[in-house]
Amino acid sequence: MNFTAPFLLTLKLSTITTSLLFIIGIPFAYWLAFSKLRLKFIVESIVALPLVLPPTVLGFYLLMAIGGNSFVGRWYEGIFNKTLAFSFQGLVVGSFIYNLPFAIRPFQSAFTGVDKKLLEASWSLGRSKLYTFLFIIFPLSRQGIITGCVLTFAHTVGEFGVILMIGGNIPGITRVASVAIYDEVQALNYGTANIHAAILLAFSFIILAIVYFINRRFFTRLF
Amino acid sequence: MLKICVEKTWKEFRLDISFEVPYKKTTALFGLSGSGKTTALRIISGLETADDGIITYGEEIWFHKKERINISPQWRSTGFLFQDYALFPHLSVEKNVTYGIKGREKLEEVKELISLVGLSGYEHCYPEQLSGGQKQRVALIRAIARRPEILLLDEPLSALDMETRLRLQEDLRRIVQRFHTTTLFVTHDVSEVYKMADHVIVLESGRVIRQGTPEEVFMGKRLSTRIQIVGKVVSIESDSIIAAVTVMHDDQYFKTLIDTEEVGRLNLKVGDDVVIGAKSSDVILFKALTQS
Repeated sequence: MNFTAPFLLTLKLSTITTSLLFIIGIPFAYWLAFSKLRLKFIVESIVALPLVLPPTVLGFYLLMAIGGNSFVGRWYEGIFNKTLAFSFQGLVVGSFIYNLPFAIRPFQSAFTGVDKKLLEASWSLGRSKLYTFLFIIFPLSRQGIITGCVLTFAHTVGEFGVILMIGGNIPGITRVASVAIYDEVQALNYGTANIHAAILLAFSFIILAIVYFINRRFFTRLF
Repeated sequence: MLKICVEKTWKEFRLDISFEVPYKKTTALFGLSGSGKTTALRIISGLETADDGIITYGEEIWFHKKERINISPQWRSTGFLFQDYALFPHLSVEKNVTYGIKGREKLEEVKELISLVGLSGYEHCYPEQLSGGQKQRVALIRAIARRPEILLLDEPLSALDMETRLRLQEDLRRIVQRFHTTTLFVTHDVSEVYKMADHVIVLESGRVIRQGTPEEVFMGKRLSTRIQIVGKVVSIESDSIIAAVTVMHDDQYFKTLIDTEEVGRLNLKVGDDVVIGAKSSDVILFKALTQS
C-alpha cells in the first residue's frame, strides 16, 4: 500500500489552497477592512458561513454548483474536457471556499487593528494607498497574516466532509490523508489507520509549532 | 495664502469656520478642547471632508464642494504632525524621516535635519526606544523632510512635561524659521501662542470668534485682566535679595514677593496702606456658587 500518496496529496492541496487564499484573500480582506459599503455585513456573513455550516451541507451545495449539470461544471468540462467534481481541481475549489473564513477573518482583523493614525500619517506624507498597504499595513499585520495562513493550512490538512462530498475517494486524485484514514477504518485496517492518523497528528503539530515559533521570534524582535 | 471657508455638521456639533493663514508665517489655532481645532486641521489636510465650502492654497483649489473638487491628502503638500506623533513602530528613526521623501538628493538633508534636532546617533533606533521629546522631534522632521508647503501641527507639545515642552518650543520655532514654511498649529496654551505664533485664530464652539496678532487677541477685555488690591501691610519678611510682603484686604491675606531694595526705597512698614497691582492674560472667570 502506498502510504505517502495521500500525504503528498494533502500537502499539495494545503499548499495550493493557502497560496490562493493568500493571493486573493489579502486584497479581499483589505476591502472588507476599509470599505464603507453599508451592505458589507452581507459579504462578511457569506465569508463566515463555512464556520457554522456542517461540512456536508457546504459539500452538497458545492457539488451542485460544480457538478456536471451546473453552469460552472459544464463550462469547465467544455474547456478542459473533464469534470470539475471528483477531480483535484474540484477539491481546490471546495477547499478554497471552505477555508475562506480561516484566512480572511485573521487578515481582516489584523488590517483593522493597525492604528488609523499611521495610515493617515502615510497619506499625509504623500504616499498612495497601495504604498501605505505594502510598507505600513502589511508589515504591521504580519502576525494576523501568518495566523491566517497557518489556520488555512492546518484546516485543509484536517479537512474531511467537504472533500468526501465533492471529491469522493479516488486514489492519487482525491484521496487525501483524512479520507485515507476513514477508508482504512471502514476496511477494519485499524493498524494502517493508526499509522496514518499518527503521521497526520505529528505533521500538523510540527507545522503549527514551527510557524508559531517563527511568529513569536518575529514579534519579540519587533517589540 | 491658505484660505479656508468650510462647514461640517455632526449630531451635536457644527463647525463653521472661515479664516486665512498668512504665507510663510506661523499661525496658532487656539481654543478650548472641543472647539473644533483638530477637526479644522484634519479638514485642511484632507484627512476629513467638509460638508460644504472651499479650501484654496494660492492658485490651487484643494476643496470645492460645489465644483466637486476634493484633492486627496497625498496631493495637498501638507506636513501633518499628529498629537501622538504616529511614528511607524516597525521603522527606524531614519526610515521614518525618509518615508515621505521621493528622490535621493533630499536624503543628505535628512542627516542634517536629524542632527539639527539633536538626534544624531539615534538614526537606527526604533520609536519605542525614544523618549516623548525625541519622538516629537522625529515626527516634526518627518513632517518637514519632504518640504511641504504647509506644516500642520496638532497640539505638538501637549503630551510632554513642562521642561521638555519649553525646550521643544524653541526647537520648533527654529526649524519652522529655518525652512520658512507656512505653519498652522493647534494649541490651548496661551504662552505657546505668544512664544511661537505671528498670528492667532481663536475658535469657540466651532466658530472663529477672534483673530489677529497674539497681543491684539489676548489683550482684549475677555482674555486679560488687570487686578488692583488696596490693603494694609501686615508683615514683611525679608532677606538680602527678596522680601515677602503680606497685605490684608477685607479679611483676606495676599502675599507678594518684591525686591528687598524696593522695600527700602519705599520705606515700607507694617501698617502702611498699599496697592498690589497685577496684569495677566489667559484669565478664567467662574461664576461663584452661593448657598441660596
